[in-house]
Amino acid sequence: MPSTLTKMILSVGLLTALLPAQEPPGKKIPSITMTPLPLTTVTRGKPNTVALQFHVSSGFHVNSNTPSAQYLIPTVLKLDAPTDIVLGRITYPAGDQMSFAFAPDEKLSVYSGEFDLTVMVRPLASVLPGDYEFHGQLRYQACDNSACYPPKQLPVRFQVKVVKAPPAPYKNPAQSPHIHN
Amino acid sequence: MKRDPVVIIVVAMVVALMLVFGFNMARKSKGTSVPGPQTKGDVAPDFTLQTLDGKTMRLSDLRGQAVLLNFWATWCAPCKIEMPWFVELQKQYGPQGLQIVGVAMDDASTKDIADFAKEMGVNYPVLLGKESVGDAYGGVQFLPENFYIDRNGKLTARAFGLKNRSEIEDDIKAILASKLTTPKQAPK
Repeated sequence: MPSTLTKMILSVGLLTALLPAQEPPGKKIPSITMTPLPLTTVTRGKPNTVALQFHVSSGFHVNSNTPSAQYLIPTVLKLDAPTDIVLGRITYPAGDQMSFAFAPDEKLSVYSGEFDLTVMVRPLASVLPGDYEFHGQLRYQACDNSACYPPKQLPVRFQVKVVKAPPAPYKNPAQSPHIHN
Repeated sequence: MKRDPVVIIVVAMVVALMLVFGFNMARKSKGTSVPGPQTKGDVAPDFTLQTLDGKTMRLSDLRGQAVLLNFWATWCAPCKIEMPWFVELQKQYGPQGLQIVGVAMDDASTKDIADFAKEMGVNYPVLLGKESVGDAYGGVQFLPENFYIDRNGKLTARAFGLKNRSEIEDDIKAILASKLTTPKQAPK
């Protein structure tokens, strides 16, 4: 059993080793990750919405899809759809209007932490039911409080399960008012 | 209780290692506008790049002047903050031999970079950067990155990210204070 003195020495050593080596900008590399999407059921012949969730690494922000200033690189998702599945509108969230130490009087439209995009997909009525995969890239450009990093692309991949539309409810035909013998 | 000397020695060695590790980590974290061991006194890597008007500029042709080499891009918001300061500092210290050189590390077209520089009132050369030049300066993994080069072409300081104006001015004064000791080579 270590003596009290030994425990104290070890504690001091450990604390010193973990001295907060204050990180200058650029020591951590920013990234965006995508929360894996479970297989999403979509109905053929109808528009369906798929929600994709992304996470910006702590300490960084990325420009929103509609950055507040010219020249800033927006966050944009580009997708390739499987054959006979129509890719509709991609809806981006509004950015947070935030000021940073490098420009305290200027508001930038940014995403930080979690943000969701929704994608409209519409399998044609003739598509065979089954699992289909989408591939694409999310392009983004990140900054921290004093430096900005070159634009990057995050590969995006998710699957959908195409099912038939449920049959329309059966309606009895109208009854003739005449008596038929 | 009798202390086992072997245990004491092992504990002391572990603590010593932790102390060395901790101090090394703290030392490596410094290096904003303070010269790092890899940069101070090294000759700044030479390069030739194209200017916005299609000419070329070679860094070593500026020997004898104090050079602030600024890596930036149009998409870099902090870079936009320091550019007006550079414009003022170039006007103020240019007569004393300061030459600020901007290197655009951009995917944007030359026209867009030129329009941007004009909007910012840039009064110093802007060069179209290349990855090879960025690599020569340690990779330039983020922007802005500024290198301070004395009159003898030697790196004296390097700044990661946006610094305040007074820090930039102090670093400029330091390179202006340098004296040319290496004979200037005739331009090739």
